[in-house]
Amino acid sequence: GDALLPAPQSISILSTNMKHFLTWSPVIVQGATVRYSVEFQGEYERDYANGSWIPISECSLTTATVCDITPDISATVAYKLRVRAELGATRSRWGTMKGFFNRVTTSLTPPLLRVLADGHHLLVELADMGPAFQFRLLYWKKGQESRVQQKVMREVSSVVHLDTMEAGAEYCVKAQTHVEAIDRSSSFSPTQCVRAQGDTSVRL
Amino acid sequence: GELYCSLPNPRNVRFESINMKNVLHWSAPEGTGDGVLYKVKYAVYGVGKWIRKPECRNINRTWCDLSSETSDYEEQYYASVKAFLNGTCSDWMETTRFNPLTDTKIDPPMVSVSSTGKSISIILTAPEKWKRSPEEESVSLLQVYPGLQYKVSVLNKKTKKRWFFSISNNSLVVPWLEPGTTYCVSAQIHVTTPLLDSGFSKERCIATLKDK
Amino acid sequence: LSMTEIRAGFSAIKANIQSRDPIRSRSILSHPHSLHKVKSSDRCCITHHLFTFYVDKVFKHCRTEDSFVNRKISSIANSFLGARRRLGQCREQNNCVCGEESTEKFKQILANYEGLNVTSAAMKSLGELDILLDWMEKS
Repeated sequence: GDALLPAPQSISILSTNMKHFLTWSPVIVQGATVRYSVEFQGEYERDYANGSWIPISECSLTTATVCDITPDISATVAYKLRVRAELGATRSRWGTMKGFFNRVTTSLTPPLLRVLADGHHLLVELADMGPAFQFRLLYWKKGQESRVQQKVMREVSSVVHLDTMEAGAEYCVKAQTHVEAIDRSSSFSPTQCVRAQGDTSVRL
Repeated sequence: GELYCSLPNPRNVRFESINMKNVLHWSAPEGTGDGVLYKVKYAVYGVGKWIRKPECRNINRTWCDLSSETSDYEEQYYASVKAFLNGTCSDWMETTRFNPLTDTKIDPPMVSVSSTGKSISIILTAPEKWKRSPEEESVSLLQVYPGLQYKVSVLNKKTKKRWFFSISNNSLVVPWLEPGTTYCVSAQIHVTTPLLDSGFSKERCIATLKDK
Repeated sequence: LSMTEIRAGFSAIKANIQSRDPIRSRSILSHPHSLHKVKSSDRCCITHHLFTFYVDKVFKHCRTEDSFVNRKISSIANSFLGARRRLGQCREQNNCVCGEESTEKFKQILANYEGLNVTSAAMKSLGELDILLDWMEKS
């Protein structure tokens, strides 16, 4: 029965920007297609529901050795994950990931930022990263690094107006993401500077 | 007492709500032509006592305005419809539980635009919650949804470039625009929780003054 | 406390859960006494009581035959644990005082709950999650 099929090994999680993927090494059986099933257990299940496990249907009897567990890891608590191999009626023991996974450990990368000047207007474009993300933008007039201004944005799907610029002046912008659910921020994107149209002698 | 009810049931009984104007809608029973009449009742969830709606008794239309009866958005409601034809009737057919606060749709804001020299100023007005009569005090949806924000789109008709602004207050001035250029503005309401978005309002266009 | 994720999880199963509660005439949270009548000074304490109520009494009796619904209930339950922990920190800093009125209020809610059999009471409580969230997010 179960003992003939080894449990999956090297079970680990890749988590970047609040997208979490469980991966494991394939179980090799010559000339056969091994399938896998994944289950998760949150702190609630451990402490209040007799240690029950919940199957992830999208990763039941899958031939892949990766499973997107993002929809199920939707709380900032410690989760356990396990995988087993299945070949016909034969099932391996569960391979359980060592330790716990808490989404607070996800790695946050700086946002993809594009800064534009359109006449006197400072504009930005930010790649959408999902509903969990806010963007914190810092901008300043070149030479006035001490007078940095800040704007927090949530909805970004297009060119967003940041501010109006003084004629001919150069403005610099950098951005970081913030995830309220885990109360963490990414590092800043590289600074980008653009120049406003017009003659610098014209004052607003 | 109730007649023997063998008439097919009204279908798709549901609330359709815009700015908390809560109207019960349904489709006629399958296979019944003209002549079907309906009656309507409603209940406050947790109280459960069914209350008849006299203005929607023996009606042949397939809607009934229950805005007045469901105006307290701290309550939740059920409504039900029964059909009658030639001495026979259908069962009572109920809605799902209706929560005016989360189940309403929101109209776009009203947008007014004016131009002064090289800038345009935009004033946004959130729609009002439905009210029984014009004399009744108005309640803005801003009061109902404190986290309400506006997303404003400004389109330069010459360059076809569109900018977006995300603002919480209801006015916006965009200075330093191109002279003699038409700009078209539309706006959308965004509430984060409960998650509610209006559509974008109709575009309002205005031209900046030409350079002297 | 960001309720966005809990709201999203609940919205996904609201119709399913509420359809399992046929009792129109009884409520756990809104009748006979509405949450909306709670004084603002009591809100933090009642919220903490209610989070504990849902974690200890409600979620475990809401298992269904639907895997999708069970997964959403799990994410709501685990989110409640996270939120209750943050609320607990408020209590430790004495910012969440429990007055007589809030204790009385919570007793009424428990009485409503115990007035039904466990599964019905649990499913009804879960179906009333939007009542709790609406009240929590009211300014």
